[in-house]
Amino acid sequence: MKRFYIRWGGVLIITAIIGVLGIQRYNRDVTSISPDRLLREQPAQAVRVLGMVEAASIVKEGEGGPVAFQLSGEGTKFSVRYIGEESENLRDLKTLVVEGKWNSTTQIFEADKISLVPNYGFITAAYLASLIPMGLFLFNMERRVAMLYIQIKEEKVYQPEEPLEVG
Amino acid sequence: MVISRLIARLQRYEGWFGVAAGLLIMVGLYMGLVTSSPDYYQGEVVRIMYIHVPAAQSAMFAYTVLFGGSIWYLWKRDPIVDNMSHAAAGIGVFFTLIALITGSIWAKPTWNTWWTWDPRLISFTIMLLILVGYLMLRTFLEDKEKEATYGAILAIVGFIDLPIIHFSVEWWRTLHQPLSISTRGVSIASDMLIPLLLMSIGFYLLFTYMLMVRTQMLYLERLLEAKRGRMLSKVHV
Repeated sequence: MKRFYIRWGGVLIITAIIGVLGIQRYNRDVTSISPDRLLREQPAQAVRVLGMVEAASIVKEGEGGPVAFQLSGEGTKFSVRYIGEESENLRDLKTLVVEGKWNSTTQIFEADKISLVPNYGFITAAYLASLIPMGLFLFNMERRVAMLYIQIKEEKVYQPEEPLEVG
Repeated sequence: MVISRLIARLQRYEGWFGVAAGLLIMVGLYMGLVTSSPDYYQGEVVRIMYIHVPAAQSAMFAYTVLFGGSIWYLWKRDPIVDNMSHAAAGIGVFFTLIALITGSIWAKPTWNTWWTWDPRLISFTIMLLILVGYLMLRTFLEDKEKEATYGAILAIVGFIDLPIIHFSVEWWRTLHQPLSISTRGVSIASDMLIPLLLMSIGFYLLFTYMLMVRTQMLYLERLLEAKRGRMLSKVHV
């Protein structure tokens, strides 16, 4: 049983390390901020902002050129100038994530990427709802087998295989 | 003697399946969660597919093993095959539940509902009910041989649900998307297909590993029960 617990302890430690690294990466590269937080903090580095495209605010500057629109949050909105691949997702009243930098001089958010709402909460929930029960199921099953072998050995009810008598 | 030899084999080789499954699932998870691209329409939420689809495939595979094992048992009356079928049913319940839960979590942001009366969802839930029914039937009967026989008959009859699950998305055009990999071709980008394949193979190996461990477990439980019973009867007689 000692080896069994050491093995599962190792699995638990590796899982915890991966979990911590995942949370760190999420906070660093993946998470988005709200429009009011952007206006309040006015960060100098590239950020991801989640908001809704204001109705009738999309203005295209020629074919394949920059697109200007307004992104709103809870009671606040700001102008976005998007230069990048044409996106079908850029539509009125659509909730999107825009990636880029805030220009504090022009008070315009210069975006270079547009993504759909990531729904990371749902993804995390799906993975945790699968992997945690899977780990528990495997642990319990393996533990039960190890215990049964010990019980059988201790109670001397196991009969080792005997060689067949020939002739 | 043949059975104990088989159990010794299961004990010996199960580790390889466990390690291979673990490695494939780890690589598949990394690719699915980090390197694969988001879907054009669903966005990031498509990443749930990498766990939902393999779980659903494994659940159906578990039922196929149960079906094959049940026919074999009725033909040969081999108790270890009955243990294997019993083990497959338990693991099948587990994977079916995971597929239904992750599917429901996927449905909320995609279809804006946790549940809908879609033929694929209904037929899959029926499979869960058949598997739970199979396990319950086995607990009601005292006679081990009757338990195995009736369970095998139920599993064979219930197999009719499997083709319905598989073809439901083709026969009835509802919310659930049609098959991505079929005779018509592959309608999925390669950077999504590779992690999906890795996860699917990983889950099949994991299922095999679980089946080996659980078959041993059921066999050892029976062995212990039988030996103890025999010892007790010797004491009481």
